[in-house]
Amino acid sequence: MLDLNEVFETNKMIASENLDVRTVTMGISLLDCCDPNLDRLCQKIYDKIVSSAGALVATADEIALEYGIPITNKRVSVTPIALVGAAACHTPADFVRIACTLEKAAQKIGVNFIGGYSALVQKGMTAADRLLIDSIPQALAQTEHICSSVSLASTKTGIDMDAVRLMGDIVKQTAAATRKQDSLGCAKLVVFCNPTDDNPFMAGAFHGVTEADRVINVGVSGPGVVRTALSKVRGANFEVLCETIKKTAFKVTRVGQLVAKEASRRLNVPFGIVDLSLAPTPAVGDSIADIIHEMGMEYCGAPGTTAALAILNDQVKKGGIMASSYVGGLSGAFIPVSEDSSMAEAARIGALTLEKLEAMTCVCSVGLDMIAIPGDTSSETIAGIMADEMAIGMVNQKTTAVRLIPVIGKKAGETCSFGGLLGDATIMPVNRYSCADFVNRGGRIPAPIHSFKN
Amino acid sequence: MTNRTVITLVGKDHTGIIAAVCNYFAQNNINILDISQTTVEEYINMMMIVDLDGYRKSFPELVADLEKVGKQVGCIIKAQHEDIFNMMHRI
Repeated sequence: MLDLNEVFETNKMIASENLDVRTVTMGISLLDCCDPNLDRLCQKIYDKIVSSAGALVATADEIALEYGIPITNKRVSVTPIALVGAAACHTPADFVRIACTLEKAAQKIGVNFIGGYSALVQKGMTAADRLLIDSIPQALAQTEHICSSVSLASTKTGIDMDAVRLMGDIVKQTAAATRKQDSLGCAKLVVFCNPTDDNPFMAGAFHGVTEADRVINVGVSGPGVVRTALSKVRGANFEVLCETIKKTAFKVTRVGQLVAKEASRRLNVPFGIVDLSLAPTPAVGDSIADIIHEMGMEYCGAPGTTAALAILNDQVKKGGIMASSYVGGLSGAFIPVSEDSSMAEAARIGALTLEKLEAMTCVCSVGLDMIAIPGDTSSETIAGIMADEMAIGMVNQKTTAVRLIPVIGKKAGETCSFGGLLGDATIMPVNRYSCADFVNRGGRIPAPIHSFKN
Repeated sequence: MTNRTVITLVGKDHTGIIAAVCNYFAQNNINILDISQTTVEEYINMMMIVDLDGYRKSFPELVADLEKVGKQVGCIIKAQHEDIFNMMHRI
């Protein structure tokens, strides 16, 4: 029989420690929509999304009410659009029409975002990949609920530096196209190394071609719960610290597993994975930086931060893995600067720098995420930052990503606001020395050797 | 899935709180399976496990009705399916 303390412990996590299920994401394959006629393609895409996910929001809300657990986001991920639109699209504007179709579908079914306006070009670009990438600035400027991602590298194939260089320009163009909203378009655009096919989180979610026709993936959260648990073991040794994180991650993930199974059953869509992630929000206390602080750092970014994050990331996985029957996605701790109010504060006072964030991405699940940089940062420098991050992912056989926002018209130290869960940020300075001659070389960086590991 | 639901109540203690909740359950054919409570200083924490098999209204109506009862007695009353607690605290 349930114990009073256990029941109140769960409800305290929900009421005062921001425990929630961050996202229920339905992955939908659009491969069966392919058609050489653009009008027919758009109609098929709209019909498939609306018929597949029409009940997603209502079902998730019903589950949230019955279990008393908030489900913050309801989302859809689709097959990379560069593949779906390859036969029908002959200009970037054709791809923008698909983006507008996705937007219409997103509004119809009431989801927060549709992800998958994507191209996978880690080894090379097809004509359609190139057209989709060229269309990204306009696609993101003309839509509100569409997220775009481009895979630029992988451990198996190396880094497509032509695509990296191109994405430096595309990020700048997207920033310019959405300059009136502090270059918000760039918050919906991410580049990847080793992306996962079943990631439920935005901006990088897409429905991989190896997936089933439809699938339910769930992303959990709970930084506030971990922070509160750690506040009870202040000064204890690393064994106690690790055990505390692990046990908390187990509890948090169990809720995700419950919601995932229940959503799968009610929607009659197979359960895919639970993504064991600690995803912060700008809400006070819902912060990864606060966990780092609780572990003993004066501010996130102080020496020791990388080690602390490595512990956190690993223990979250160890605790979460037994709590769910299938684990996937990005699984780990996220460090999106503007979405984490304490991390944004650490960046504001100079405790956390871009270089330290790069080091932190070596040991956690994503990458340089939601970082506002000066609007006059050159596209070559943005490509250079991307290349660095792609190299980290490629060599370490992990997912890494870059989501930078060059805020047009603003300089380092100024603030910008993206609204809602995307948060506010102080613009971080970027190393001012050039890498233009490097990124302009063109071609590919070969895949790394898989032996002689040091 | 069973129809067992956990009712939690938190608020400042005074006479008649549990009576008000139990009255609602009696009127709506909800059977109480387990009940426990603690009072810390002047605050009451109460938990009931109830069976909704005989309940004729919907779950959202139960949540809304309990909110009303809660307002009348100055407490926060929540209804949640018991699986969330079992999942979190039982392997």
